Amino acid sequence: MKSKSKVPCIPMNESISWEDWLKGRRARRESSKLVTPEILRRKSSSSDGRLRKLFSGERGLPFTPTSKL
Amino acid sequence: MDERKIKTALADITAEKDPTIKSQKLASICSALFRERGVELIVVGGSAIEFYTDGAYASGDLDLCYSAGSQPLSLRLRQELMGKLKGEGGPRSWQVAGMFVDILGQIETLARTPFRKLDAPYGPIKISQPEELLVERILVSVYPGENETARNCAKAFLSTALRGQIELDWNEVKRLAQRPEYRIFPQCDALVKEVADEVQIKSPLHPDE
Repeated sequence: MKSKSKVPCIPMNESISWEDWLKGRRARRESSKLVTPEILRRKSSSSDGRLRKLFSGERGLPFTPTSKL
Repeated sequence: MDERKIKTALADITAEKDPTIKSQKLASICSALFRERGVELIVVGGSAIEFYTDGAYASGDLDLCYSAGSQPLSLRLRQELMGKLKGEGGPRSWQVAGMFVDILGQIETLARTPFRKLDAPYGPIKISQPEELLVERILVSVYPGENETARNCAKAFLSTALRGQIELDWNEVKRLAQRPEYRIFPQCDALVKEVADEVQIKSPLHPDE
């Protein structure tokens, strides 16, 4: 399928540069959020003990808001 | 990679507050160190999904596998290399720079498409194929029972791919979904159509309809 956006696409056969990957973050987040809830992180897993201990009761660092990507 | 460069990288990764960037940078330094010893690491799991979707999915752990053509990865070599990163724990899981790194076994993949590659700050990283990650999520979303998180993950994947932000081989998605290891094509087809309708793009699995 041909790209319909000017946002850098993650290609199949070449590397994506760090700059292009960063540039595409906001658009990817917006695409995801068109069809899913704001946060997809699982509420629990077998790693809960170590994660909640390291991240003050959470399962990881807080995500950067879409507006700041 | 010399000690000074490792020290600088670790300081940068430790200070990083964005969980997605932090895990990709950590994958980058781990990949560089292991590559020097003939071992190619592949990012799998939540960090791989996050790389493709930015869907706010990953937790505070980074899952890595090694590729089939790599040198044997002994426990001693794991400890030696993760020791260079001041990793605490082992021999399969370490705390490094404010995250956990798990080095699992050799990667299991049925996909024929290439690992995707990111030129990250401390060296290139390889990421598990999106075609297989997608089909896996669809399987987990319905089998053995309904799983809403997995379904949402698959939907995030589909939306970003349908909108042209990931180059996906749709024939490979179809082939994988039909394989006996997955047997999930009807559900895959239905979910692609559902998301395609939501984002108002024609389903690539039915381009002539």
